Amino acid sequence: MAFLIDCPNCGRRPRTEYTWGGEEPGIAEPGRDAQDAWYGRAWLRRNASGRQRECWFHAGGCCRWVAVERDTRTNEVHVLD
Amino acid sequence: VGAVLWHLRGLLRVGFYYKMLKRGRSWLLVEPLIRRMTGIGSVPRNAAPRPRERLYHFPELCVIGGGVAGLSAALAGAERGVTVIVAEEGGIGEKIPPGMVRRRVDELHAQLRTHENVTVLENGTAIGIYEGPLVPVVGPDALHLVQPSRVVVATGASERHPVFPGNDLVGVWLGRGAARLAGAHKLDPGSEIVYVASTEESLDHLELLRTSGVHVAAVVVPDALSSGVAGGVRQIRNGEVVAALGRTRVRGALIESPTGAERVRCDGIVLSLGLTPRAGLLRQAPEVEVVGAGDVVDPGCGLAEAEAAGREAGATVSYQKKLVPVARASGSPPSGVAREGVVCLCEDVRACEMDTAWREGFQSTELLKRYTTATMGPCQGAMCHDHLRTFVKDRSGSPAWSGPTTARPPARPVLLEDLAAGVRTAIEHRTGLHERHEGLNARMEWAGAWKRPDNYGDVSGEYSAVRHAVSIMDIGTLGKYYIAGPDATEFLDRVYPCSVRGLKEGRLRYTPALNEAGYVFDESLICSLGSKGYFLTFTSSGAGPAEAWLREWAREWGSNVYIVNQTATLGTINLAGPRARELLARLTEDPVDPDSFPYTNGREIEVAGVPCLALRVGFVGELSYELHHPALRGPELWDALMERGTDLGIRSHGLDALKLLRLEKGHIIVGQDTDFDSSPAKLGLEWAIKMTKTEFIGKPALERMSHLRLQRRLAAIRFDGRVAPVEGAQLFREGEVVGYLTSSRHSPVLGYSVALGWLARNGGDFPDEVVAMDPQHGSMPGRVVTRAFYDPEGARVRA
Repeated sequence: MAFLIDCPNCGRRPRTEYTWGGEEPGIAEPGRDAQDAWYGRAWLRRNASGRQRECWFHAGGCCRWVAVERDTRTNEVHVLD
Repeated sequence: VGAVLWHLRGLLRVGFYYKMLKRGRSWLLVEPLIRRMTGIGSVPRNAAPRPRERLYHFPELCVIGGGVAGLSAALAGAERGVTVIVAEEGGIGEKIPPGMVRRRVDELHAQLRTHENVTVLENGTAIGIYEGPLVPVVGPDALHLVQPSRVVVATGASERHPVFPGNDLVGVWLGRGAARLAGAHKLDPGSEIVYVASTEESLDHLELLRTSGVHVAAVVVPDALSSGVAGGVRQIRNGEVVAALGRTRVRGALIESPTGAERVRCDGIVLSLGLTPRAGLLRQAPEVEVVGAGDVVDPGCGLAEAEAAGREAGATVSYQKKLVPVARASGSPPSGVAREGVVCLCEDVRACEMDTAWREGFQSTELLKRYTTATMGPCQGAMCHDHLRTFVKDRSGSPAWSGPTTARPPARPVLLEDLAAGVRTAIEHRTGLHERHEGLNARMEWAGAWKRPDNYGDVSGEYSAVRHAVSIMDIGTLGKYYIAGPDATEFLDRVYPCSVRGLKEGRLRYTPALNEAGYVFDESLICSLGSKGYFLTFTSSGAGPAEAWLREWAREWGSNVYIVNQTATLGTINLAGPRARELLARLTEDPVDPDSFPYTNGREIEVAGVPCLALRVGFVGELSYELHHPALRGPELWDALMERGTDLGIRSHGLDALKLLRLEKGHIIVGQDTDFDSSPAKLGLEWAIKMTKTEFIGKPALERMSHLRLQRRLAAIRFDGRVAPVEGAQLFREGEVVGYLTSSRHSPVLGYSVALGWLARNGGDFPDEVVAMDPQHGSMPGRVVTRAFYDPEGARVRA
């Protein structure tokens, strides 16, 4: 599990500088009520085998959240913002 | 014993230990003997590991190997402007005998030095290529963790060490080794040698040996090269050394050639029989962008070829996912393995032992390797991997069983202290008042990454000062944040379960911090600073995660807020005790009387000349002021308080006293008294939640939970008697386990023991009487109380 993430502020850094923030939370679907949206956000995970959108917090650097797309099989990381 | 065993060597066949000694307890007896006889060292008990650092590098290109191909690759990369790290096991060029190759290496090295974007790690051994890619390089004083985008492996090749009877005798040399011995160290490999030449390079080595005065008894040489051998040396054309003669050192060589077999007297045999690639690292990295260059993929390639291959590898922008070594490296090994002789020099595995293993059914490279331990020594098969494959191929005839063995990192023996590099580096956080605590002989304890005073040698004295006089405590480890910006109020109102909108300037509020699941993960004080925004505190352990939490929501909602972490820049002293106001008034000109500065208010005041944000709260249950101040001015403030409070009986208190003080008030410590699933209702914190708000983090979850019957809750429990039950003690009700204690102390001011603990329902209701089982004091009856033990009306904190 050694890979690098390109922080938009700090540049290329090893993932040990980051805290994993989990999958990017699902956006509430229209028509579903707030309870369901919150429930999904708090408890449901896709846990994809393949590319998934994730949030990483640059705790050992500039303390910003970085949205990435990571392939959970190869740990290939593409920074989205 | 050694000599006896030498004669019995025929009995000590492969697998001997497994077959004979791994029965019952005998292995325990013989293992130490075997270890001693085979020269296996022991771990020194007193040698402390060297303190070693761990360094991180993120170059574009990592080149493993500092030969012609490796340096050319680095140079090509450097010329393209990318950052390059070269890892070379020894010194650059150090092992290459004088000659054309050495000159070229030195030239390339000199050129590399002119590039600033190249780092050469000499004496740096790359121990493997891990996923990522990650290339750990063990250097003389640090472990370098290199995480490049691309890796070039240019580890070269080593000379083939053939298998024949006597190939492990003293006096059998490889050509490069002998040349280096004579050329660089001026030592002769023997006084009279037989030289076996079959490569271009070997002729140079032969010449070097001759000019340094070694007498060459005979040169075994193929027709094609014979013209390159100097005159006056006896040649044996197209011959082969089939045995080295002698018992412990070489006394002669048995040479077979088309003209017949003959014995040649000599005391040294030098073998230059071609190269075997050192492809261990290359084979290790199946999923990584790695490319080989030079001898490692093309053994015996010329200088110009190596340079060209290196330059190409270094200049390539992106590799194919996998570039395997060309056929010569992984393809069929050159020639058969003799029936006698040592196959694996590191592990001392003989050809006859391989035969035995084969007959016993270990009929593939992977099985033979595991059973005989061939290729498992320090060189990790660099010399014998090909022999192993040839052996299997000769016998099985099936390529399926003679494939290369799986190469795994590490590729070299590694010291544990190298692997542990950096792990002994503990970063100790200190508050600005650390030296004051040391001056007072405080017993410092770890609290997360912080060092905090546990006590100053007199816990009950410290406690009494808070309850009866005045005391100060360093609580600078609290998480401290400023929140400002146009959306600050709206943002905090959406985040917290209390009303932030209704918070007037100068007022402060306690609130639990909830996650999306409605569970309490921390607690905060929010103080409104009017147009300047808000001041927030978190617990010491929650200070770090709090920032990620706040920023996550600010990002998600797109809130226009500034989140400024002041945890390190602000220090905090808690001034507490019935005489706290009296002391504060002596040091400030700002009004601190109860009407101007009441409970749950915050004021910006100047104390002893130090600007402070003072918050009137009461974690310890007495009149108290949290003085948040610039951390660098902490000692000044501390000294002033101690000095002006002397006649009031001031003293500082530590964590130990604090834990009792807050427990008497029934105040929880998040993490100690709470669980991961502690909802406000379970903790008795509903009063702090405003469910009428339209939105706050965790509200939908709390709404859902409000329909469920509470199954567990945290309760305050009173135990009469002088001794408190141990923290963690189980709680019983009529023989049934109903919970456990999370905090428990004896209270001197109340005369009984105070505790917090989790209770489950017992027959429909929560029990109001429990029995704690203490391992030392047996069963201790306790009573559940519904209010704070000490000063339940809160008159003292409001004073």
